[in-house]
Amino acid sequence: MELESTSEPEPVLEVGEFYQLMTAQLEAAFGRRHPHWVRGEIAKVYEKGHVYIDLVDAGSASSDTKRPVLNTHCWATQWAPIKRKLGEDAVALKPGMIVSFLGYVDVYAPQGKIGFTITQVDVQSLLGDVARRRQELIARLRGEGLLETNKRVELAAVPLRVGLVASPGTEGYNDFTGQLLNSRFGFEVTLVKTAVQGDTAPAQIVSAIEALDAHGVDIICLVRGGGSKGDLACFDDERVARAIARAQTPVFTGIGHTGDESIADLAAHTVAITPTKLGEEVVALVDNWYERRIRVPTQRILDATAEILEEATEYAAERRRTMIFAVRDRLRAEQRHLTTTRANLLTHSRHVLASAEQLLASKKQLLGAYDPKRRLAQGWSIVTDEGGRVVRRLSDVHVGAQVSVALSDGRIDATVTQMNGAG
Amino acid sequence: MSNIGDWKQAADELDAIVASFDEGEVSVDDLFAKLERATEIIETLESRLDATRAKVEELTPRLTRVIDSE
Repeated sequence: MELESTSEPEPVLEVGEFYQLMTAQLEAAFGRRHPHWVRGEIAKVYEKGHVYIDLVDAGSASSDTKRPVLNTHCWATQWAPIKRKLGEDAVALKPGMIVSFLGYVDVYAPQGKIGFTITQVDVQSLLGDVARRRQELIARLRGEGLLETNKRVELAAVPLRVGLVASPGTEGYNDFTGQLLNSRFGFEVTLVKTAVQGDTAPAQIVSAIEALDAHGVDIICLVRGGGSKGDLACFDDERVARAIARAQTPVFTGIGHTGDESIADLAAHTVAITPTKLGEEVVALVDNWYERRIRVPTQRILDATAEILEEATEYAAERRRTMIFAVRDRLRAEQRHLTTTRANLLTHSRHVLASAEQLLASKKQLLGAYDPKRRLAQGWSIVTDEGGRVVRRLSDVHVGAQVSVALSDGRIDATVTQMNGAG
Repeated sequence: MSNIGDWKQAADELDAIVASFDEGEVSVDDLFAKLERATEIIETLESRLDATRAKVEELTPRLTRVIDSE
């Protein structure tokens, strides 16, 4: 039985016609390729030349089978500059991120899909999110004290054994090693090659730090030349920061350009603004030690040696002069002494002679007073016995003895005939 | 070379000889002996100085290289 219709019957559309109608209706509603901002949470990302992103309402549960999903896509030609811009700002689109896309509705009939073609990505909001998460990571690491841990590791006095985490052949690697090679010191560089950008870099850097820490080097240097924020993002990785904090070896960083400060920099023992500067600082550490412990002491030794030799030479010369003068003076003094003594002796001898002469005259005068001739002339006589001995008392002779009596003008020889005592 | 001890011992002995001259303690009998000893000490010290200076001059360029290395 056929139903009677009171109105114009709806035309029966072919599938293609249906899609044309639907596209026309959608374009009427949204405007043809009229841009709209859509905000949502990334549920899925798939990239193969073109990129396909499923957006859902933020916070909706994945278990909710009825939650709306917007299949968005960005064609390769448009995705390339967007991706580059995101990369420069260290943003990678990942599930869970809240994003805002500018684009338009489209219908892709071959797969029966109504979709959304992305023409722009709100990078600023993403950057804000990245920055917030970065600050949260920094705060968390700081709260755990991990930004200070490596700074407390004692630095070797002469860090000649350098552990290097870098990508050989890169500008940063060449800048850093060039500084060491051009120095006058024999640095022993142990290189652990790693990627220094990209998703695999953080894990490689962590392994390199751990390997060098175990190997035994004086310092570990993380080196990476300049690049976009995206290129340097691996140095903001939490795993890298924690590996630095765990290291028992001082970790030095020379990452990017002036003004780039990674979380690795914050956790490091010493930070240089570029690989070149890092190389300079490492060389300066050794150079300062060399200056302080080798060059200055060597100069002091040379100065002191010259001074000692000079003093000793002067001493020997002065002593030589002193001895010559001392001996000459001594001899002159002796000569003077002899001369003086000779003069004194002469004077003294004369004086003695004069005194002797005077004494002799005095004695002579005194003796004159006792001259027997004077006594004999005065009437005295001297009796001597036969032996010539002076007869002073009766006992000196005996009766009959021959005696001689000396007088002033001659002698009487007599014989003792009688002796009479006085009184 | 006679035994004069090390530099300090020799210098002490030499100073004592000089002091004995300064103080007029040297008799004429001792003078020659003291002068001879002093001369011997001075010549020995100077000889040692020459030898030391030669060694220093040999080493100085090596140390100077340390200072001048850049």
